[in-house]
Amino acid sequence: MKVLKFGKIEQVLDRLAQQAEVYVPMLRGQQTGFYSWNTYDEGYDDLMFDILNVYQSPKHVILPQTEMMYRFRQEGQDVIIDAEAQEITPKIIMGIRSCDVRGIEHLDAVFLTKGYVDEFYKARRDKITIIANACYNPGTNCFCASMGVNPTDPEAADIIMREVEVGYVWDVKTEKGQAVTKQIEDLLEEEEVELFPLKRFLRKVDYEGVAEKLKDMFDDPMWEKYSEPCQTCGICTYLCPTCYCFDIQVKTWGEEGYRFRCWDSCMYREYTQMAGGHNPREAAKERFRNRFLHKLQFFTERYGQPLCTGCGRCVVVCPGGVNIIKIIDTVKEAKTGA
Amino acid sequence: MNYTEKIREIAARLLENGQVDMVMAWEKGDLEYQTIPFIARTVDEVSRIVCDEYSIHNLSNYLLRYRDGKEKIAIVVKGCDSRGIVRLLEDNQIARDRLYIIGITCDGVKDPLRAMRQHSGFEKVEKPEDGLAAKCLDCRQPNPVIYDELLGEEQTPRGGEDRFARIAEIEQMSADERYKFFESLFSTCIRCYACRQACVACNCRTCIFDETRPQWVGRETSISDNFMYHLVRASHMAGRCVECGECERVCPVNIPLMLVNRKLIKDVNEFFGPYEAGMEYVEGRKPPLSVYRENDPDDFL
Repeated sequence: MKVLKFGKIEQVLDRLAQQAEVYVPMLRGQQTGFYSWNTYDEGYDDLMFDILNVYQSPKHVILPQTEMMYRFRQEGQDVIIDAEAQEITPKIIMGIRSCDVRGIEHLDAVFLTKGYVDEFYKARRDKITIIANACYNPGTNCFCASMGVNPTDPEAADIIMREVEVGYVWDVKTEKGQAVTKQIEDLLEEEEVELFPLKRFLRKVDYEGVAEKLKDMFDDPMWEKYSEPCQTCGICTYLCPTCYCFDIQVKTWGEEGYRFRCWDSCMYREYTQMAGGHNPREAAKERFRNRFLHKLQFFTERYGQPLCTGCGRCVVVCPGGVNIIKIIDTVKEAKTGA
Repeated sequence: MNYTEKIREIAARLLENGQVDMVMAWEKGDLEYQTIPFIARTVDEVSRIVCDEYSIHNLSNYLLRYRDGKEKIAIVVKGCDSRGIVRLLEDNQIARDRLYIIGITCDGVKDPLRAMRQHSGFEKVEKPEDGLAAKCLDCRQPNPVIYDELLGEEQTPRGGEDRFARIAEIEQMSADERYKFFESLFSTCIRCYACRQACVACNCRTCIFDETRPQWVGRETSISDNFMYHLVRASHMAGRCVECGECERVCPVNIPLMLVNRKLIKDVNEFFGPYEAGMEYVEGRKPPLSVYRENDPDDFL
């Protein structure tokens, strides 16, 4: 087995960072998220391959929160459009957990399949290599296995790192992974090591049949009840590794400007505000219901899997204590639609 | 702090005799350290009510959902939360006679969000902190300022040293240093608007940040749009913030919002004071910056 010893991690990162922007889990100030190794500041940042997961998923590496689309300016009677694509640098996401890899698989399905390819997304995606960090020790609010994720063998990973006593087993899965491995081969060591066993999940949920049942539960009283503590902020949608809704907006100064896209959240009033002034999702209940129906019913109907990877972030961070596990349980137990 | 039994008794009485249509309190979530807002509407639901050491949420914010209704509402408020009720009354957001206020004196609560984080694995901690929530360490108002029924013994405020000490330090910075300081704070904002949503003083029907015609504040997570968001939010808090600390507590990226709010509290106090928002409800009395007079000074225009 090829093993990356703990002591050589920074060397590997330095080497990889010569060819690509390498995003790694870090504690930066009081925040945890995926940040570029090039911006690592020894006095301020902490590298965190050994944490269960970081607050901000690496979703932003593939789908930036704000992304320039094109610039324009007016010259006399003409409008000049500068749609030249920005140069996309190769990127490596290293240390990503299985739940967040599944998040990327979902984004791929949305932006690359069903007859439409999003060029902005594809340009970034093509140049991204995923080095996952297999998860053998699920956390208090983790339920990825219940959502069909394999915590130790993420499908879309190009390389899987498996933590062992002395470092990480370097498990190459794809050609992209091989190409990256070539750059650092001399830093890996050949060693026979024993893998840790996968520990038991504390949280389990049974999603089987839930999408089907939800079809008849649009008017169920549970939406009213469970949305009561929801403050309709966007924390859950912005920290979720799968929420992908975006808006396209414009900024202009005099005769020039640019168009950009930015994350949007179905929890915001503006999201469904219509030109005539009507808003079909005026109250918390409607927005809340839409969010969970999208995750647990609509997405499954279109793509065959729920838009939830069981990472547990929304459960941990919700100020009102909204819990997707409880919603799935309630649907499961409901008599209606059965 | 544990008022569970007493509040259940009161809730059952109020719902049974039809004095109120709902009781805003808390119930337990899935985990021992998780207490979440809960509204009981029937006597049967009363047994779910809890009021324990994790009952941290300022429930007065939830009254806004019912501002256009006619329901009579009983609500449990701690000292800090009760100032939020005064603010809603001053802003004519809800009529006093629709409310039955159950005040509880508070010796400090713990933060379920912090506990969730520290037990979740998303934060590296040696041992999860079990002490009072950060916001309670600087408590100014442990006793409710408005209530129909009061539970508990009077408590003394814990906020010791000068709460404006840090503000004074920042005021001493040069303009460039100050810009850098705030740039570092606001550049991390993900614009989830949790601070606005958790705030009882944010009670505008249409928020400036949701306006699209015109769009006053851009939606980019750029430093300029983030600054615009935070400075406008803070300015709108002037004379309105009741220091319940919910904005800072719910922020998923730990922006010290109370620091900004306190600067505005200090300014309002200096310009129009002495003034503390929401300390006393006097019918018809208006707080600073909420009335217009023709002879208002405008020499800065």
